[in-house]
Amino acid sequence: MSSANPGLAYEDTPPLSAPLRFFLTAPLFGLCAGLVLLLGDGVLSSRWTPGALAAVHLFAAGFMLQVMIGALQQILPVVAGVRFPAALGVAGSSHALLTLGAMGLAGGLAFGRPDAIIGGAVLLLGGIGIFLVAALAGLIRSPSVKIASHAPRDLRLAMAGLAVTAVLGVALALAIGRGVVLPLPLPQAVDLHATWGWLGWGGILLAATSWVVVPMFQITPGYPARFTRWWGPGVLAGLVSWSLARALGADGASSVLGVTLVLGFAAFALLTLRLQSRTRRSTPDAPFRAFRMAMLAILAGLAALSCNLADDAEHWSVLAGVLILHGGFGGAISAMLYKIVPFLAWLHLTQAGIRAPNMKKLLPDTPVRRQLALHLAVLAALVLGVFADSIARIAGLLMITEFGWLLLNMLRVLHNLKRARHT
Amino acid sequence: MSTIADLMTHDHRACDHDFAHAETLAAQGDWAGAAEALDAFSRALNAHFNAEEQQLFPAFEAATGMTQGPTQVMRGEHVDMRAGLERLRAALEAHDADDFAGEAETLLIMMQQHNMKEENILYPMCDARLGHARDELCTQLSHSLAAEHTS
Repeated sequence: MSSANPGLAYEDTPPLSAPLRFFLTAPLFGLCAGLVLLLGDGVLSSRWTPGALAAVHLFAAGFMLQVMIGALQQILPVVAGVRFPAALGVAGSSHALLTLGAMGLAGGLAFGRPDAIIGGAVLLLGGIGIFLVAALAGLIRSPSVKIASHAPRDLRLAMAGLAVTAVLGVALALAIGRGVVLPLPLPQAVDLHATWGWLGWGGILLAATSWVVVPMFQITPGYPARFTRWWGPGVLAGLVSWSLARALGADGASSVLGVTLVLGFAAFALLTLRLQSRTRRSTPDAPFRAFRMAMLAILAGLAALSCNLADDAEHWSVLAGVLILHGGFGGAISAMLYKIVPFLAWLHLTQAGIRAPNMKKLLPDTPVRRQLALHLAVLAALVLGVFADSIARIAGLLMITEFGWLLLNMLRVLHNLKRARHT
Repeated sequence: MSTIADLMTHDHRACDHDFAHAETLAAQGDWAGAAEALDAFSRALNAHFNAEEQQLFPAFEAATGMTQGPTQVMRGEHVDMRAGLERLRAALEAHDADDFAGEAETLLIMMQQHNMKEENILYPMCDARLGHARDELCTQLSHSLAAEHTS
């Protein structure tokens, strides 16, 4: 592999097993989050219940983080010319640490075990750390060229957001598990951790990915250059300012900045919907529609968050969490998985010199469409479940089915890959 | 004067529009229209590949001395995409809507991961390394790519 080919050769993308382990483990965490909802008592009655904390971390630090890290190891070589040193080693070690960490953390939160909370948080930090250091090493060696797209820069900003989220998470784990005194009240520290997680990491990553995915794969007009130039740095600067205002107890400033951040993220979701409405593809498939529904769920979640700024009733924050995490990120991630996994399987076969079945033969439309329809049903049940515990249990049961089905659909691709290999 | 990255990225998008036109007509069951649109897409795609293989890549290779580098990788992917285009044409000739949709989806993802590499890595490298030869090459590339798109 020549250093003259930064990130360009197929060989520069990691072997199939590197991202696949993340994509196949991820649904299991979604499934476990469903189990918590099914078996726990009053899980969605407050964001502070052990069940809610466990479910949120199973979803965010389990499902979402696994897919996002796996996908970044695939996309960074293509978008930013990053070649991961020891790609398989990085994938293997970060995957093991993230899996054990998310299990430990969620288990500790559900059952009130301080050692498991701290152990899980430290393992997660270790897994994230390995990935970030490897990505940094790759970025330093990547070609330094001036490009028009802001996606590579915003992917870096998102990774900075991930680092902040992880460090805040470990600090919180130490505060809860060991009584370490933090420089600000616990609820405020939790707010910082959560906001850096969903917006600083998840939101910026989703936007950076959208700058590329929406115009290129959905054949829409591009995002306006002025918007993409300022959005990522603006959100990050806003987050830093909001965090400082929260930490210093400047309530007025933190409210204004909070509203600004909500509006900024809403602008991204609205613009994405507008661009998607101008797609040149006449037959939008189920993942395309799921991506649009994800944007609508984000908008609804942001509306709930805005209500929470004015009224601190428990249900607003839980509603915002359900809509943004499950509806927004869960929907967008599922939609992307349905494109990424069949393509990786196709690429794997083609590289091996095997005549690969096309994408829709590797993964037919029907099971994808049905699983994504179930995703929406789960979201509706979760929203109702915020107000009625019995429905939250039904949502849990449906969620188990949703993520079990997602896993089965991924396994279907692998089954078809193996069949193609042996024919 | 536009950069190589601007010019070639713009042509990628124009090829995408031709592709979407063919896909739309096939989805509507208008096989005659789809065949015409696919021909137009094929001409545009091949004009783009030819401009790269005969003008841009040799210029980059001459300026950098890298003949086995990124341009070699991109030439290999052109071969894969030409094969993908032939499979798409075969599905169209068989009037097989499912196969056409599957081959179209596969070719689109193949094209876009290729385009991402070119737009984010190779074209900026060309702009950076070709120096004063860049403007003249842009003019030549513009002529080669002109009038190949229908929509």
